[in-house]
Amino acid sequence: MKPLILCLGNDLLGDDGIGIRAAEKLQTMLDGQADVVATSMHGVALLDLLVGYKRVIIIDAIQMSGFPPGSVIELELGDLRTVQSPSPHYTGLPELILLAEQMQLDFPEEIKIFAVEIDDPYTVGREMSMAVSKSLQKLIPCVMAYIDWWQNGTYHA
Amino acid sequence: MSDRIVIDPITRLEGHGKIDIILNDSGGVDRAYLQVPELRGFERFAQGRPAEDMPQITSRICGVCPTAHHMAGTKALDDLYKVDPPPAARKIRELVYNIFYVEDHALHFFYLAGPDFVVGPKAPKAERNILGVLGKVGQEIGLKVIGTRRQLRELMTMIMGKAIHPVFGLPGGISKPIAKEDQQKIIDAADVAVEFAQFSLKIFNDVVLSNPKYMEYITSDIYTHKTYYMGMVDQNNKVNFYDGPIRVVDPDGKELCKFPHGKYLDHVAEHVEPWSYMRFSYLKDIGWNGFNDGPGSGIFAVAPLARLNASDGMATPLAQEAYEQFYKACGGKPVHFTLANSWARLIEMLYSAERMKELAHDPEIVNPKVHNIPTEKPVEGVGIVEAPRGTLIHHYQTDEKGLITKANLIVATQNNSARIALSVDKAARGLIKNGQVDDGILNMVEMAFRAYDPCHGCATHALPGQMPLSVRVFDSQHNLLKDIRRR
Repeated sequence: MKPLILCLGNDLLGDDGIGIRAAEKLQTMLDGQADVVATSMHGVALLDLLVGYKRVIIIDAIQMSGFPPGSVIELELGDLRTVQSPSPHYTGLPELILLAEQMQLDFPEEIKIFAVEIDDPYTVGREMSMAVSKSLQKLIPCVMAYIDWWQNGTYHA
Repeated sequence: MSDRIVIDPITRLEGHGKIDIILNDSGGVDRAYLQVPELRGFERFAQGRPAEDMPQITSRICGVCPTAHHMAGTKALDDLYKVDPPPAARKIRELVYNIFYVEDHALHFFYLAGPDFVVGPKAPKAERNILGVLGKVGQEIGLKVIGTRRQLRELMTMIMGKAIHPVFGLPGGISKPIAKEDQQKIIDAADVAVEFAQFSLKIFNDVVLSNPKYMEYITSDIYTHKTYYMGMVDQNNKVNFYDGPIRVVDPDGKELCKFPHGKYLDHVAEHVEPWSYMRFSYLKDIGWNGFNDGPGSGIFAVAPLARLNASDGMATPLAQEAYEQFYKACGGKPVHFTLANSWARLIEMLYSAERMKELAHDPEIVNPKVHNIPTEKPVEGVGIVEAPRGTLIHHYQTDEKGLITKANLIVATQNNSARIALSVDKAARGLIKNGQVDDGILNMVEMAFRAYDPCHGCATHALPGQMPLSVRVFDSQHNLLKDIRRR
């Protein structure tokens, strides 16, 4: 079964568009080895997209990792797996995962998260910063390596 | 010496925000502020773009209520080109809009308000979430919530189109009619929606209204403000979300004014404060008189409670029954209790579902004539809808080719912002005594604004998962005294 690469963000809001940019790039490179979905939806709406997949990579922008803008941070589900943590939207990913577990939905067994630290997601129509734009050079090979590993059992980092 | 407490970011609020609470020497509250980040650059971004792109652009900016922006933008285009949609297009727009309402109001109840009312405001933080709600009401209900939401989303995709950013609303109509064979799906989903709304109201009745403690919270003075109320009404002064004049009532419930969309600037003005990016809407008819309530202050409210207060009732039978029960239980009209918004929201959800059902059965909705071609030269257009979070105003000016020269949006949360500021301040003052601040008290301060379902949504993120709520206490010199992280 194909894995899903779920790219979150908003391309009208400068650096917040990094996930969408990554989706465009991956779409052309992957040659059908994975489903790539770009969306500005969030919270419980993501449930509709995730259900039915076994393996998922999520790409999103964050703004508080403590690393400089453009840093790519690889997160395990365990890093987020705490329902107490607040989310800026209806319900965060950790809450969603626990909800899916409790509801016994057909939820992915493996979720890998790549987060890119960003600078300013509050200016409409702003250009993406150079640092964040450059992060694709690190981000894309990481994602491709995972897909390769999952699909072919080979790993070329 | 005064201490400063910061709640940042606010749990379960849509969009980012934080609360600053400044304590006085005796450990009471000197002042509490809600701070939100500002979305910048919209006007400049819009300039020079074709007006027809605005329903798409504005709905992409906001990931929380894209359908409301899409609809306000589309109606502004009708006004800009002075063209009315054919009856089928008008009805289909209203149908989609009511489907969106059922889904959006349901989410608020089960995910945002539910933890406060079903689980309890002082329950351990780890339980105050959707899982805690399901723990109380049962897993089957969880599946029902998820299933109904999904069915409604699929219906919206069927009607509006599957693209990520659908081109649905056009000046003078919509982009595609409803196929005859799809009407039955809409009828079936409408039945599910009505039943779902009734069942959500029943949960509220069983869990909240029968609990004297919760009713004490709802009717408590710390969550009460006597302000003006604004909402859209139909020709019979009944609540409407899609179209109709805007009506404002005073704190005694008497009509202050009722105006068509193009006249909004005669009634709504904006006040600016140095401590906030947010602009505070107030009524020009009364004037800005500081952060006070009462008939002498131009502060008004929008959103469910305000809409019910500003109307003479609901246009559908079951919702009307719930409306009457609401005012009877709350001791007459208008209701000034902020937390009653959660109840009002469920009454509105029932109305949306019933209206969806009426429109689903209307033979007109499968009429293929859904677009009137505009012929007038564009100059200026205003479009207003009731977003779930309150009155939403889009105002465009263009050159003769229809390229935007000026765009002004007044979003629902901005219309509510002055009253939200009052609510946060009053709740903090009422709840924090002798410098004692615990998790339950902070949550009850947050409840004061969560009831409005405020949306400061802009950037869209599912992450970070681990961002804790931090409560920081500063002395008057802004030295950090304590740093409490709520994990």
